[in-house]
Amino acid sequence: MSISAKDNLSEIITVNMGPQHPSTHGVLRLVVDLDGETIVGVRPDIGFLHRGVEKLAEHRTYHQFIPLTDRLDYLSPLSNNLAYCLAVEKFFNVKIPERAEYLRVIFAELARCASHLLWIATHALDIGAMTVFLYAFRERELILDMFEIATGQRMTSSWIRVGGIREDVPPLFIERLKEFVNIFDERINTYERLLTKNRIWLKRTVGVGKISREDAIDYGVSGPIMRGSGVNFDLRRDEPYGIYDRFNFEVAVEDGCDIYARYLVRVKEMREANKILKQALEQLPEGPVMTDDPRVQIPPHEEVYEKMEALIRRFYIITKGFAAPKGEAYACVEAPKGELGFYIVSDGDSKPYRLKIRAPSFVNLGALETMAKGHMVADLVGIIGSIDIVLGEIDR
Amino acid sequence: MNFVELVNKVNEKFPGKVINSYEKFGSRFIVVDRGSFKDILRSLKYDFGFDYLVDIVATHWPKRKEKFDVVYNLFTVKDKFRIFVKVAIEDDKIESVVDIWKGANFLEREQYDLVGVKFEGHPDLRRILLPEFFDGHPLRKDYPLKGRKWFNNADEQNLGLKFSR
Amino acid sequence: MGLMEHKFSDNIITATVDGVINWARRSSLWPVTFGLACCAIEMMAAGASKYDLDRLGIIFRATPRQADLMIVAGTVTRKMAPVVRKVYDQMPDPKWVIAMGSCATSGGIFDTYSTVQGVDEIVPVDFYIPGCPPRPEALFDALVALQEKIKSDKVLRK
Repeated sequence: MSISAKDNLSEIITVNMGPQHPSTHGVLRLVVDLDGETIVGVRPDIGFLHRGVEKLAEHRTYHQFIPLTDRLDYLSPLSNNLAYCLAVEKFFNVKIPERAEYLRVIFAELARCASHLLWIATHALDIGAMTVFLYAFRERELILDMFEIATGQRMTSSWIRVGGIREDVPPLFIERLKEFVNIFDERINTYERLLTKNRIWLKRTVGVGKISREDAIDYGVSGPIMRGSGVNFDLRRDEPYGIYDRFNFEVAVEDGCDIYARYLVRVKEMREANKILKQALEQLPEGPVMTDDPRVQIPPHEEVYEKMEALIRRFYIITKGFAAPKGEAYACVEAPKGELGFYIVSDGDSKPYRLKIRAPSFVNLGALETMAKGHMVADLVGIIGSIDIVLGEIDR
Repeated sequence: MNFVELVNKVNEKFPGKVINSYEKFGSRFIVVDRGSFKDILRSLKYDFGFDYLVDIVATHWPKRKEKFDVVYNLFTVKDKFRIFVKVAIEDDKIESVVDIWKGANFLEREQYDLVGVKFEGHPDLRRILLPEFFDGHPLRKDYPLKGRKWFNNADEQNLGLKFSR
Repeated sequence: MGLMEHKFSDNIITATVDGVINWARRSSLWPVTFGLACCAIEMMAAGASKYDLDRLGIIFRATPRQADLMIVAGTVTRKMAPVVRKVYDQMPDPKWVIAMGSCATSGGIFDTYSTVQGVDEIVPVDFYIPGCPPRPEALFDALVALQEKIKSDKVLRK
C-alpha cells in the first residue's frame, strides 16, 4: 500500500512534554503542536511548583520573609535576598555600611557565577555535551564552599539582611575568593575551548530560537535573552543599585538573537562578574557590616547580653517585626536571569500588605512560543535551556 | 527625562485625567482616571517611549470603595526611566493591554488567577498557576492562607488520591 | 562433612538466594530523575563531579520504567501530586521512595493553600531526609541506609 494525498499527512499532532521530563529544568509542562517534526505552537503549562510565596509574605514580618526569597530562584539565592532587602530598605532609607555594600556585591556576583555555571552545565548536557557538566559543577562547588564558609549553608543562605548582611565573613572566605578569582578566567577558557567553536554546538545553536530586538522588548524579556537580541540594557549600569556605579565593567551585548548569542552573553557575563569580584576584593574596606539604625537593626548578641534596651528591642523586632510606613516601594536587581523586582505595598503594619515578585523567568517564558515556532522538536530542548528558567521563580 | 515634565505633558494631552502624581520611596507614581487609562498607556508607549512593560500588579482592598488597584510598571529602554501607572477600579473588571504590549499576556493571566481581576479583551484568560478546579483567588484578603479544602475537589486522573492534612 | 563437600569446581560461591537478590538490588539502585525544586539542585550536585553518586552504582534514569528508586526532591504541590503518583505507579516492583528535604517530608515552610503537607499522603516513603535543602552527604547517608535496609529484605522466605 502506498501513501497518497488522501492520507492527510499534514495533520497537526499535539504532544505533551513534561512535567516530569529531564530537560524541562524542573516541573515545566509544555503542550506542543507539531506538523511532522516542526513546531507550530507551544503552550506552557506552569504552576506545578506554585507554593503560595506571595500569600505567605502577607503573613510574615519583613524580616521573616527573607528565607522565603531564597527559595524563589534557588540557583542564586543571594541575588533574591539582595533584591528583597533593597525593596524594604527603600521604606526606611537606611544607610548601609561600606563593607556590607562591598560584600553584597561580592555575594551577588558569586551567585551570578554559580547560576551561570549551572546553566552552562545543564544546557550543554541537554544538547549533548557531558564533559562541560562535570567541569562546570567542579567550579560551582568551589563557590558553594565559599558560601558555606561565610554563611554556613551551601545554597539557601539568607545572608543578606535588611540593613546590611548577617555577619562579617571569616578570613578564610577572602583567601578562597582570591584563589577563585585567579583561576576562574582560565576555567571559563576551558568551557569555551569545549564549546565556542565546537561544530556540533554551533549546528545546534546558531540561528535557533530567534527573537528579534523589537519582539524582545515587546514581550518584556530581560537579562541575557534581551542582551542576546542586541538590546544594550543592564540594570547594574542603567539603574545602579547599591554601589555598582563604582565598578568598571562591560555589558555583554550580542546581535545574534539566537541561542548562541545568549550563550556568548552569559559566558562574557561570567568574565565580567570575575572582573567586578577582583575590583571589589581590592577596594574592600574594613568596618561594620550591619547598620546601627535602630528601626531595622536587630541588636547583636553582645549588646543584648549587656543592655536592657537592646534586649527589649531585639525581642520586639524578632516577635513583632518593624513596621514600614504606608506606601509602595519597588526595587529591582539584575539577577542572573534578568530583572528581578520586588513590589511591596505597605499599610503601615509590620507585614507587607501585598508583595509582588517580578520574576524574570516568568516573563521570559512568555516569549517561548515566538522563539520555538518553525523549529524542529529537538531544538525545543535547547531553546528552553537557553531561556534559563527556574520553576521556583516562575511559579512562586 | 524629568518626572514633572512628563506628568505635565501627559496632563496636557489628557486634561483632567491624571488624578495624582507623586514620588515616594524612590518610585514615581502616576494615578490616572479609570475611564481613559488605556489611552494614556498607549500614548505612554508610542509617544513617550515606554516600550518595556515590566510588571502588572493588582492589589485587593476589600474595605475601600475601589476594590482593586492595578499598577503598571513601565520602563523606557532608551532613556532608562521607570514610572508606575496606577488605576483604581470599583468592580473586578479592567481592559486588557495585550494589544499594546505582548508581554502583558502572562502577567494579566497571573493576576487574574491569583487576585481575580478580569482583564476584558484578553485573548486567553485562563488560570495559569493553579488548576482549573481551584475555587476562589488566593491573593484576595478573604482567602485563608491554609485553605486546602479544594484539594479533594477533583481527582483528575482517577488515582484515588485523598488528602487529609 | 556433608553431601555438598568438595562437589563443586573452583570459582563457585554458595549463598542464599535472598542474599544474592538483595545484593544485586542494592548494588545498582537506579533513581528516576525527579527534581521538583531546590533539593533537585543538591541532588544534581550529588551526581556531579565532586560527590559522584556513580561510585555507589547509582545512575540516574530519565524514565520511571527503568528505575527502582524515586527521590522526591522538592515541594510537592496539589497540581503536581497526581504526577508524582503516576510516576510512582509506572515504576516496576520492587521500588523505594526517599523524601528529600523538609518540603517533601512535611511541607516544610510552605504551609499554604497549594502545598501538599508531606509526600507520604500520596506515595509510601522509606526514608525522610531533613534539611532545606539537605547536603549531598545527607542524601548519601539515606542511600546507604536504604542499601542496608534492602540487605535485610526477605524475598523468597515467608
